[in-house]
Amino acid sequence: MLKVVNVSAHYGPLAVLRRVTFHVDAGEIVCLLGANGAGKSTLLKLISGVMKPSEGEIFFDGVPIHGEAPERIVRRGLVHVPEARQLFPNLTVMENLELGGYIHGRRSLSHGLAEVFELFPILSERRRQKAGTLSGGEQQMLSIARALMARPKLLMLDEPSLGLAPLIVDEIYATVQRLHASGTTVLLVEQNAMGALDICRRGYVMETGRIVLAGSADDLAEHEDVQRAYLGRDYRHKWER
Amino acid sequence: MTTSGERVVTEGAEGDRFGREKLRHLQLERLQMTLNRAYFHVDFYRSRLDALGVVPEDVKTDEDFRGLPFTTSEDLADHYPYGLFAVPLKNVVRLKIATSRDGRPIVVGFTKRDTNLWQSLVVRLFQRLGIHDRDIVQVAFNYSLFPGAFTFNQAAEALGATLAPSATVSAKLQLQIMRDFRSTVLAATPSFALHLMDTLDEESARGREFHDLSLKLMVLGPDPIPEALRDRIRSRLGIPAFGLYGVAEMVEPGLAGECPAFRGFHVAEDHFLAEVVHPVTGHPMGPGSEGELVITTLSAEAYPLIRYRTGDVVAVDAAPCPCGLNTMRLSPVRRRTDHRLSVRGIPVSPQRVERLLRETDPAIEDFRLMVGTRFGLGDSLEVWISLGTLIEESKSSRLERIRSRLRRELGLGVRVVDVSPERLPQEGLTYKTVFREKKEP
Repeated sequence: MLKVVNVSAHYGPLAVLRRVTFHVDAGEIVCLLGANGAGKSTLLKLISGVMKPSEGEIFFDGVPIHGEAPERIVRRGLVHVPEARQLFPNLTVMENLELGGYIHGRRSLSHGLAEVFELFPILSERRRQKAGTLSGGEQQMLSIARALMARPKLLMLDEPSLGLAPLIVDEIYATVQRLHASGTTVLLVEQNAMGALDICRRGYVMETGRIVLAGSADDLAEHEDVQRAYLGRDYRHKWER
Repeated sequence: MTTSGERVVTEGAEGDRFGREKLRHLQLERLQMTLNRAYFHVDFYRSRLDALGVVPEDVKTDEDFRGLPFTTSEDLADHYPYGLFAVPLKNVVRLKIATSRDGRPIVVGFTKRDTNLWQSLVVRLFQRLGIHDRDIVQVAFNYSLFPGAFTFNQAAEALGATLAPSATVSAKLQLQIMRDFRSTVLAATPSFALHLMDTLDEESARGREFHDLSLKLMVLGPDPIPEALRDRIRSRLGIPAFGLYGVAEMVEPGLAGECPAFRGFHVAEDHFLAEVVHPVTGHPMGPGSEGELVITTLSAEAYPLIRYRTGDVVAVDAAPCPCGLNTMRLSPVRRRTDHRLSVRGIPVSPQRVERLLRETDPAIEDFRLMVGTRFGLGDSLEVWISLGTLIEESKSSRLERIRSRLRRELGLGVRVVDVSPERLPQEGLTYKTVFREKKEP
């Protein structure tokens, strides 16, 4: 479904991604792990068209999308839930959701709203409340719900657990699993490695702009390098050093 | 998430039936990871790439990749004991000893993940041949001579039932066990399969027929199966014999295996990148042309190898196979670039024998390895020696010293014969070696 081939990205002269290649098949739930600064969020920005790669190709359902405008990519069914939610705090929950669904027109809005309210009943209760007044967990739910209004085939979530209490994180993850079970393909970017591996089938580990490890979730959960990538420690000792 | 039991059987199976495009993508993903890990965790690779002024992300095209230096058996021996390990020893759960072309030790490490993958590769090969949980797989290897044989047991256990009487058990007892437990699959070396066929023929001559055997197929390795032996097994037992291929410095067996269509050995391309190069120039050879097999590991964690020269001369066929798999196929190994040969499944390097001879008795003038073959398989080894300058020590004592040293070092009974220089036969294509097919018993 999603194929990223040899993608690099730079902030000025600084290389933040160095020839990254990975894929997500339809129906999968895949996580991208790595310490802060590993390049995970940049990678999602490249896929969603917010940033342009300095080289490489990105294909969605076999169609090249690198270089396409973000709204066109959203129309194709690839929707990005950015880090730190990025809601419109002064708009109501309802208004935020409507903005998420605008690409499909007014007529399908009510259907979309009914679906997300079923998934997140709390948002229905708070529909007239301003987004900025919601709790962190509720804001994250709204952020995901807003993305769902665009009816994604592939949902990309950037650190949905960031800054949330463990119980709320569990709730968010449970929702992601339900979405996946209902047929949405998910690419989950996380620093919270163990949490993400609990709900994913397989994953990739990034370090300093490169993918250094891939494997099944079970494998990665046991892998020392995952700890290292997560903690970002320099760890090069061998048995005699 | 799967249970660990399920994982053992299914992991590594995903790439087996991918289309070429998807397989190429997976290879690129894994190659980049391998280069990254090798560069950051193995000083040998890092200094090599640094010397070229290359970092992993500079490898953009197939041509860039082919510009990377080869890794040789000598490199592995030079960096013994663990200069090529990419993980700390505490993460290594299995160590496997191999020998470099010049006879020095090589130790290959495997993490838990590596051993799981290795097992899953053999499971996949077994499944492709129709071996399943109701089969009884009789594994008859000499484990000390072929450490990879353990993987047969593990793979068979992961699938169902295993019987493992070592090949040191007599062929007669093997047959008795085969009958009593109704073994359906025999995993052994081609040499042992030949020995078993001889034993069956002897039994037949005494009036006992083969009909009480339940075998449905044989899986033979690591040596190639001579066609004459395959025919004999088919005509006498009515069953097929399939070959498996591996590289001692990576996984052996498991790297490639024959399919039911007998159109060559399908490479596990989701975990290994195969190239065929000219043995002298190192230039890539086209499909169908013969050349040295060069392998890059794509999933090995503890001991990644980049462009490793296997020394095996093969031809490659990339056309789709009637069996339905899209993976590249290798011909059986046609010869070795390093002249290594196999006697009853035990690898013997003429250069190593030469070094042992020179160390044991520097006065030796010349020698030949006289390999007796049956169906083309090395069956016995004689070393004909021209002892050269007479020294004080008696001839018989010199010969005995040589014989016992060779036996100890090679793990193989060797007859040592003193001959005059003019009686040493002309060597063939293999260094200092002459093959002589034995007459049928």
